[in-house]
Amino acid sequence: MAAPRHGAEPLVQISNFRMDFGRTTVIRDLSFDINRGETFGFLGSNGSGKTTTIRALLGIYQATAGVLHINGRPFTPEDGATLGYLPEERGLYKKETVIDVMTYFGRLKGLSKAAAAHWSREYLERVALGDKAKVRLDKLSGGQQQKVQLGVTIMNDPELLILDEPTKGFDPVNRKLLMDIIEDQKRAGATVLMVTHQMEEVERLCDRVVLLKNGVVEAYGTVEAVQDQYGGTVVRLQCSGEIPASRHYTVTRRGSSYAELTVSGPVDEAVILRELMDAGVTVRGFTAGRPSLDDIFVAVYGDQNAGDTADTAAGE
Amino acid sequence: MARHNLGTVISFEVTRTFKKKQFWLTTLLVPVVLGIVIALVVISNNSTASMVDSQKDAVLTFTYSDASGHIDPTIASAFGGTVAGDGAQAIADVKSGKSAAYFAYPAQPATEATMVYGADLGIFDNGKYSSIATGLMVASAQAEINDQTLTALAKGSFPVDSITYKDGAESGGVLGALAPLLFLLIFYVVIVMLGNQMLTSTLEEKENRVTEMILTTLNPTTLITGKIISLFIIGLVQMIVFILPVLIGYLFFRTALSLPDVDLSQLIVNPGQMVVGALLLIGGFTLFMGTLVAAGAIMPTAKEASQVFGIMMALVFVPLYAASLVVSDPSAPIVQIFTYFPYSAPVTAMLRNGLGSLSPVEAGIVIAELFILGGIVLRLAVQLFRYGSVEYSKKVSLRTVFARSRG
Repeated sequence: MAAPRHGAEPLVQISNFRMDFGRTTVIRDLSFDINRGETFGFLGSNGSGKTTTIRALLGIYQATAGVLHINGRPFTPEDGATLGYLPEERGLYKKETVIDVMTYFGRLKGLSKAAAAHWSREYLERVALGDKAKVRLDKLSGGQQQKVQLGVTIMNDPELLILDEPTKGFDPVNRKLLMDIIEDQKRAGATVLMVTHQMEEVERLCDRVVLLKNGVVEAYGTVEAVQDQYGGTVVRLQCSGEIPASRHYTVTRRGSSYAELTVSGPVDEAVILRELMDAGVTVRGFTAGRPSLDDIFVAVYGDQNAGDTADTAAGE
Repeated sequence: MARHNLGTVISFEVTRTFKKKQFWLTTLLVPVVLGIVIALVVISNNSTASMVDSQKDAVLTFTYSDASGHIDPTIASAFGGTVAGDGAQAIADVKSGKSAAYFAYPAQPATEATMVYGADLGIFDNGKYSSIATGLMVASAQAEINDQTLTALAKGSFPVDSITYKDGAESGGVLGALAPLLFLLIFYVVIVMLGNQMLTSTLEEKENRVTEMILTTLNPTTLITGKIISLFIIGLVQMIVFILPVLIGYLFFRTALSLPDVDLSQLIVNPGQMVVGALLLIGGFTLFMGTLVAAGAIMPTAKEASQVFGIMMALVFVPLYAASLVVSDPSAPIVQIFTYFPYSAPVTAMLRNGLGSLSPVEAGIVIAELFILGGIVLRLAVQLFRYGSVEYSKKVSLRTVFARSRG
């Protein structure tokens, strides 16, 4: 993959997507696009229908209504050579050797046997599993199996990389490896669709996001636009002393030496600082900025208990 | 890409099976056991032959009384017999061990029992008393007839060749049934040997959580077709390995194993029956394999799926309970039901085809039924795998699957 494939034409188009399982409606009306070359965050609480949407996009489920296109047409397994998919429920043929499984998937994705085996050996060396090529997968540790799974996902140099809860169950070492791989793929021009609950990763990696709630879009746009959409400035303090109540802000977080205030309306940060100091609060650090996606997530889904939404029975 | 991927699936499935030590251990176990059995039989037969040779000339001495007057004293003497003066005393001598045996031939040996008294030699060797008593009477009767042809005719030892006709043409009889019944044998071997593997083959994707990775790179029809073809190849290899010791035994140790010398040139091969047999085999195989794959796709674990395998096996063997009716009265209602009920149809129809009681119309209906239903079940199996196997840890209902497929 020589150059990034940014362009105006969306790689993924989802419009008026509806998904019913029997009498249960999981997705009511969902529309969003993913542009070529961008990294896109698909966010929502447990059971909100993210995995269902991805399965419908990849033709695993049949949509009740709407259009779900990749490269301008419905996805079929014949397009698998352009896709890297790391599903939420993941695994490989555990009774087979690492190299056999990787070569098999490479062959299915259109590589020659020699090319698939060569790529696999190079990748295994890169992730410190060079000596495990002929070991059965079930003899590897969980972390080592995750590395192999990642390799299988990206071995065809995919145009579109779909990662459903990519860091779920990953240890910190593999999480960093995954992040590096995503960065590499981004640099190589791949379009990345990420489903995750790790908001720091979204802020770090994603260009745009969509927030799904009750089967419809709650927010959609660049990370900054969504942050702006949800509330005003957030003031983060390193401080000690009693923070007084005020009409200018509400205290959203409080630690022994830390506090976070959400500013109400167009108030100058200096006014707030003076108000605090006048109340006897010792301020050692003061920053003002947008709310984090974590804050927004809590604000949007705070009224829902995780996993209690309508489609729990139907799977995510 | 589909054809390329079909080759990839077959290559992967076959290679990984052949790479497994367990496969070869279980596959080679059968010929090894057969080899041991053949060796034991050969050794046992050789030692039995030696024993028979050594005992061939050993003559049993016995006494006898003959109320019928048919026993030739010269022949009796050659057999080792002497006339007993008193029956009660002869029995007493046997009891005390003074005499080995005493035979009392009645006045009407054709209707009255000949009494044989002898020292106990064990349940197997005790039989030789009655054999000698019978042999002596037969030899004496033959001497009395004094005509070899009449003797042979009286014994019923003369050749009979049967020629029967069906629809004006010569029918094959047993030799005509053997070739088409070969398809029935193959069907049983394939289903029994491969059925469970087929049931669990797609479960592997489910249990290992590979389904979604597979469904986005491979058409499920290609995967299932690849698995069926792979299993057929694996089964073929197993059959060859199993048959090898039997062939070696037949070709090199036929006499030692007391195997009949079958003249294959005498087999009658009816092309029509062979075509029908082959179509019934393929149709039946498709239906059974499709059903097993479908069951595997909705079951969460191999353990639960194995219950389905038991039911399928019962369906394969149930027609054999009516085998005597299939042979004697093919138009009996139960035979007709078994002929047309899809899961008993392959066995019943192949049996009737071999015996020549399956009419062309019946054969056409059963073949069409098996192919149409087999196709439907295979499509259903693909659908169930596609939408059912994503439900990794659940036993999926058909309703759920169709809800997902319809959206």
